[in-house]
Amino acid sequence: MNIGTRKILDRSFTAVGIGSIIVMAVALMIVVVPIITNGIGAVFFTGTVEHRKMLFSEFKRGDSEKLSSEVASSDRYRAKVYGMLTDFEAELETMAPEKKVEYKAKYAEVRAALQALFGPLPGDPEPMLTRFKYGQTRWEKAEEKLHDLLYETKWDNSNPDVMAKEYFVSRAIGFQGTSLVKLFPYVKDNMEKLLLPEFTFYWGFITDSSVDSHFFGGIWPEIQGTFFLAVGAMLFAFPLGVVAAVYFTEYARPGFLNSMLRSANSTLAGVPSIVFGMFGLAFFINTLKVSESKSVIAGALTLAIMILPTIIRAAEEAILAVPKTYREASLSLGSSKWNTIATVILPAALPGIITGGIISLGRAAGETAPIIFTAAVSVGSAIGLADVLTSPTPALSWNIYNLASEHEAAAQIRHVQYGMVLALVSIVLMLNLSAIVLRARISKKLKG
Amino acid sequence: MAGESGGECNRTNAFVVSARKRTMQKVAKKAGESMLFAVASFVAVIVLFIFYFVARDAFPFFQIRGFTEFFTSSNWYPADDPGEFGALAIIYGSLMVTLGSALIAVPMGVAAAICLSDILPFSIRQYAKPVIEMLAAIPSVAFGFFALVVLAPLLQNNGGPMLMWAWWILVSPFVLLAVIVLSDLLTAKIIEPKRRQQMHIFLLILFSFLSIFLLFKVGTVLYGIQILTGTNALNVSIILSFMALPTIVSVSEDALQAVGRDIREGSYALGATRAETILKTVLPAGSSGILAAVILGIMRALGETMVVWMASGNSSQIPEPWFNYLQSIRTLTATIAGDMGEADQVTGSARFHVLFAMGLLLLIISFVSNLISERIVVRQRKILSGQ
Amino acid sequence: MTMDARESSGSAPAQKATRDMYLPPERKKIADGGTAHISAKEFSVYYGEFEAVKRVSADILSKYVTAIIGPSGCGKSTFLRAINRMNDLIPSCHTTGALLFDGQDIYGKFTDEVLLRKKVGMVFQKPNPFPKSIFDNIAYGPRLHGVNDKKKLMEIVERSLKKAAIWDEVCDRLDKNALGLSGGQQQRLCVARTLAVEPEVLLLDEPTSALDPKATAKIEDLIQELRGSYTIMIVTHNMQQASRVSDSTMFFYEGVLVEHASTAQLFTNPKDPMTEDYITGRFS
Repeated sequence: MNIGTRKILDRSFTAVGIGSIIVMAVALMIVVVPIITNGIGAVFFTGTVEHRKMLFSEFKRGDSEKLSSEVASSDRYRAKVYGMLTDFEAELETMAPEKKVEYKAKYAEVRAALQALFGPLPGDPEPMLTRFKYGQTRWEKAEEKLHDLLYETKWDNSNPDVMAKEYFVSRAIGFQGTSLVKLFPYVKDNMEKLLLPEFTFYWGFITDSSVDSHFFGGIWPEIQGTFFLAVGAMLFAFPLGVVAAVYFTEYARPGFLNSMLRSANSTLAGVPSIVFGMFGLAFFINTLKVSESKSVIAGALTLAIMILPTIIRAAEEAILAVPKTYREASLSLGSSKWNTIATVILPAALPGIITGGIISLGRAAGETAPIIFTAAVSVGSAIGLADVLTSPTPALSWNIYNLASEHEAAAQIRHVQYGMVLALVSIVLMLNLSAIVLRARISKKLKG
Repeated sequence: MAGESGGECNRTNAFVVSARKRTMQKVAKKAGESMLFAVASFVAVIVLFIFYFVARDAFPFFQIRGFTEFFTSSNWYPADDPGEFGALAIIYGSLMVTLGSALIAVPMGVAAAICLSDILPFSIRQYAKPVIEMLAAIPSVAFGFFALVVLAPLLQNNGGPMLMWAWWILVSPFVLLAVIVLSDLLTAKIIEPKRRQQMHIFLLILFSFLSIFLLFKVGTVLYGIQILTGTNALNVSIILSFMALPTIVSVSEDALQAVGRDIREGSYALGATRAETILKTVLPAGSSGILAAVILGIMRALGETMVVWMASGNSSQIPEPWFNYLQSIRTLTATIAGDMGEADQVTGSARFHVLFAMGLLLLIISFVSNLISERIVVRQRKILSGQ
Repeated sequence: MTMDARESSGSAPAQKATRDMYLPPERKKIADGGTAHISAKEFSVYYGEFEAVKRVSADILSKYVTAIIGPSGCGKSTFLRAINRMNDLIPSCHTTGALLFDGQDIYGKFTDEVLLRKKVGMVFQKPNPFPKSIFDNIAYGPRLHGVNDKKKLMEIVERSLKKAAIWDEVCDRLDKNALGLSGGQQQRLCVARTLAVEPEVLLLDEPTSALDPKATAKIEDLIQELRGSYTIMIVTHNMQQASRVSDSTMFFYEGVLVEHASTAQLFTNPKDPMTEDYITGRFS
């Protein structure tokens, strides 16, 4: 090969390497950016008067005077809409029978769209579910519903070779010649006055419990559950892991038994997380019966055995990084081995051990599979500290799955899902970031 | 002076203690040590327990249904009466996404590891490592959510154009490179310089046209593809590859770092370019470490639950044709996660135990591959230290 | 019992003769000097199969400074570390023969190595203060041995730092991290830390090899200060240092104690040709 080609190959080799790093960085961005931007939307958004109504009646928050004046002002505009509805109903009675059937069906769709926008209409029975008691609380959702009100969605199936395409038909055309036709431009033009949008900082998203399976309210039960599970797992795994690491680094003699123990450790690190869940179910719940069924304690124990190998490895590395001279110095001063470990080695290794602990804490907080069968429930309120032995808890990781895949109206509450994902990701990344910073500081300190 | 506290009398007997005290000391030391050992062996006990408890609930399934159906049939109707428990399609689905993610993650991961260890200056490497750690730290459910809510609709609505762009961006540089190398190799034997140059240019142009034609043809075919569902094997493979990447990168970077400087310097001194040095000396020397990294990364993809559960479509079928990554599949982990909730109520039934059989299968695969990768790492360490 | 038997086995005239051999010809007289403080009898140290120290017999005199010289890997450090049983840290290490300290076998069945190390302090090649405050570094030993009274600790710290000739430099920053000191200061701090547990013997394992000449001179001055108060053994690579600070010198070669005599004699008139070759620099 001539030298030019070799150089081109060399350059392109470099380019491939750098390219793959860039792809990784871009991938991280592509994953993280929508999560952050949409997740922030759960806390900062343009809220409507319905949101403030909901807050006031569900959480007793807000200025009641301001709210009642707002409600009064929006009701003034809504009254016109409702007036048009009653006019049309009267008109409907006068129509010919076949036309009446046709318009009645169309009118029912309009009513449904209006209900979604503004909450129950006059004359509707009091709804059973909280989600139907209020109209759209978020402005961008309200705009979607407005579109539903203005246009009918239809599917084009004419070409069987490609997937059906959706297209929209204006509803106003359908009501041409009736009194209702005025309603559509009216609602469209007066949306802001009907719903009074206003920039909202809903801090309650973090601290409120959910209302009507996350249609309204916050994610406090999930955050608390994640906290209980992760901290509980650490309570079991951290002391065990550190003691085991002390044994491996200070006492274990090379030999068959020791290499077996080490193999066991790496095997445990490689077990798929879902198998931990099965084991937790089969062992902690069905055999040991630490609780009747799912409980925080069973989940924490399962997570503990999952993070144990990580903690042991991190602690081992931290202990091995302590200079041998400390050991010698302490022993030469007449300290016993145990005393040396407790007063010199562990304190010197502590930052490293804690770094490993923090990373494991993040892993325990983020893991889902082990808690599916052992600790997690989809809906529920925050549990007290006394209930950890007996009751299961909602948790961020599990509820993200549950809301996104199994919730009956998953597409309606995307903002809650994004908010949860952002909460979880930021908890985990904060923990990791602090571990990275801590580690950088340690290495600086050790260098002098 | 030496003994302000101790006079002549206890000077002689200062460090010799009575037999009884010495025995006590020894017993205490042994007791302490064995307690530490007990804690350390706790991990081994857990591993044994995991195997025992998963196997204990897995064996009844094979007693009731035997092995044949589980491994050879792809009829998965556990809820029927009588149920059918053919897991072939599910096992195939697991292997499919694992392979798919490996195809993406291994070349990228190894290239990134090489870049980190040999190409990038230290100052950039310092920042790249934490980024990779962050990628590893993102919880799997967040990736699953991304796959389901962001990637799946994208694939479903713009699948064809996306595939075409990926084809162009990822493949065309390599085709261009192949054109250059091929024309160089083919003309290398011509001795006369002028004729060689003419021939070289002619071949370059010819191959360029050929390859652009080929790229374009495949591109149009890809553009026309309609993806029926965004929750498919491709989606899952992409996301799983991102989850496997950090493991592959960091473990193979360690392996490459372990290959000493002297080997690299030896190669450079003989006039090799950086690429040649890495490909011909560093990679072979670190190959077993990289293999171990690949195994660990693949294991992460195989054992991952949330992403496949949320974004694989969960349909128990072998795609038509068998390599069609654009269809929904179902994996072992997702089946366990999804079916345990219902099967839990009927403890003792084949429906409950079949899930443990799947768990046992996963456990055995992970155990064996862990063992293999550990062996490989130990062997590499021995070889490298022997040099 | 057996101890007594061993002690009486060394006959008095022979001991007298060897002692005279080690005595310094022209140094200040040391009260209570000249009795064997540590004595090795056919003492060997093995690392697994390898015999690192070979059947060494020697008496280390009380309150004198004894230097150990020899090329790298000759077993001098191993011998030094055997005296306070630091070699116990190496799992494959074992010994034969006898090593007596005040007539008691260091490797005896009933030896408590923790109490032994309290009597036999050690300072290492590289200064190794703990990552704690200066005060806590010095107080570490006394605290281990049961001194917890703050006032008493302060007394001990002050006394030890003064003995190690570093008090003036650090008295105003006792609560600062010891790692902030210079290398020479750190090494003197380590000496002070060792002195704080009131040992009888001070083992110095190449204490100046990591230090610059100025700090080295300070350490050597310190050794002179301490001479007469402690039995000091110093391993050194530097023959000038050995001749400057020590009263008697042991020359090790490949694990064997080749020659042991008063420093003046060993450096001016070595008996063994090997010693002569070494001190004249024909090999190192």
